[in-house]
Amino acid sequence: MANKYYDPRKILGASLMKEAERNDTIVVISADTGKKSGFSDFMSRYPNRYYEVGIAEQSAVGVATGLALTGKTPVFCCAATFATARPFEMIKDDVCYNRQNVKIIGRNSGMSYAYLGHTHVALDEFALLRMIAEIVILAPQDAGEIESAFSAMLKHKGPVYMSLNDRPYPSFINEKEFVIGKGEVLREGSDVAIITTGIVAERATMIAHKLQGKGISAMVIGMPTIKPIDRDLIVRFAKLFGKLVTYEEQFSSGGLGTIVSEVCTDEYPVPVLRLGLPDVFLTSGPLMDLTAYYGFDELSAVKEIEEFMSE
Amino acid sequence: MSSTDIELVSRLKKKAAQIRLDICDMAFQVGACHLGGELSLTDVAVALFYHFLKHDPKNPNWEGRDRLILSKGHCAGCFYNIFADRGYFERAQAIREYDKVGGHFGMHPNKHIPGFEASTGSLGHGIPIALGFALSARYKKQSHRIFVITGDGELDEGSNWEGFMAVSKFQLGNLVVIIDKNRLQINGFTKDVMPIEPLEEKLAAFGWDVRIISDGNNMAQVVECLSSLPKSDSKILRKPIAIISNTIKGKGVCFMENQVSWHLGTLNAEQLQQCINSIETTEK
Repeated sequence: MANKYYDPRKILGASLMKEAERNDTIVVISADTGKKSGFSDFMSRYPNRYYEVGIAEQSAVGVATGLALTGKTPVFCCAATFATARPFEMIKDDVCYNRQNVKIIGRNSGMSYAYLGHTHVALDEFALLRMIAEIVILAPQDAGEIESAFSAMLKHKGPVYMSLNDRPYPSFINEKEFVIGKGEVLREGSDVAIITTGIVAERATMIAHKLQGKGISAMVIGMPTIKPIDRDLIVRFAKLFGKLVTYEEQFSSGGLGTIVSEVCTDEYPVPVLRLGLPDVFLTSGPLMDLTAYYGFDELSAVKEIEEFMSE
Repeated sequence: MSSTDIELVSRLKKKAAQIRLDICDMAFQVGACHLGGELSLTDVAVALFYHFLKHDPKNPNWEGRDRLILSKGHCAGCFYNIFADRGYFERAQAIREYDKVGGHFGMHPNKHIPGFEASTGSLGHGIPIALGFALSARYKKQSHRIFVITGDGELDEGSNWEGFMAVSKFQLGNLVVIIDKNRLQINGFTKDVMPIEPLEEKLAAFGWDVRIISDGNNMAQVVECLSSLPKSDSKILRKPIAIISNTIKGKGVCFMENQVSWHLGTLNAEQLQQCINSIETTEK
């Protein structure tokens, strides 16, 4: 898959077909979202395992819970903000409090829907869901990881949420079995670590590359599991570098940056620079324009990290 | 009504009176309970668990059982007493653990308690969950029935109506929603807080086969309605059934009846005695 970019929905749809073939407990709930989630093949192949409940995400999560309570493995995928904020209580009470084996995928995560305005962006997925006990939160970082994370989410017994962006995913991480709760070093460095997650992991490596030209050797650590976070990895590099940076396509407060800060506060306090989107209602606009406008682009990140390193 | 039915109604009426006494006694022992709704619901709950539902207290997870999801989870106390009486667990355990650290029993039901199919409490969750149960039963070609009990104030929650639409879409004849319509919610009468009428017409417009129990605290009427339900068959496509059960909040205890203040309450020894007198008098 080198040097190419892949449609996440196609990977998701193909992964679902592969899993559904060998696991007949898998069913799909759609809130008018099945086709756009890449599930057309599943709909054709398994019409009796596909349930359309209309544009009703709260009902969709409740129905998924009911199916799970009877032994099914429901998969529900829709736009991330409507998969999290809208049915939040149903995820908390129905799925998680009942400890049910429901798999929720929030596609069009982060700024995918920037052109549709603030109602459609999903920059609080991690902040919202991480407050729910026992839920697992995944954010694959490249094409191969979408497939392996999907497989891992189905193997895991219990509620799992996967954050999936709409932009094409690169392929830059060595393929391997996805282990929930484990992060890994994606790029070596000796001055500071940038801890990242999701689709912007590749951009974090580009930021690190640019920093190299400024005389800063930045390591990049990928965290495809947001909850449970890989605490050992964070502490290890907090101790080694004495400074950490986080970079995520979420609000800079509440998500990965906050989680890393909490781990450091608990175990080894070091300064943490949290890079993400600011605490504002985003204006709508073309993605790259907005990314630069809110200081989330590569150049802004490089500048901020340079300043952080000079402090 | 046949002599068998008369006997059944008489037996269930006696049991309902006993459960009402148990509900009040439990409230006296454990503290705050949602007495108003528990007492309005008692007759339907008793009819279900002492006659109409297929279930096995010794094997609560029996695959062939009918399922009941208590969407108005705040009325768990009614079922704690019924389930204990039926042998799902010891009543003393419920009282001992009620609202205690590490215990499963509390104001709202927990799936870990035998007899409860799902943890509920927040309103408007039961119908979508039941829809999941019903779809699964159809897929597995199972014939058991899925009941949901909601309140009438609870129907203010929009998620119920998402569920009503979807159940109707799937034409699930194995799902029955019972609305315990006691006309009161925390802030007063439903007609004042949020009018839900014309409820029968609304449900019919959503594609439901609506049945009415004029007096849901009249066991003969409850039995008549539940006896008239068509056989549950997940394969058959037909309108799902909604039963509007008109009840009285606090039914059986004269000083609680139609009093919104008894939505949630505690009982002292004197009040408990008044409850006992009232329930015993009503039964006679």
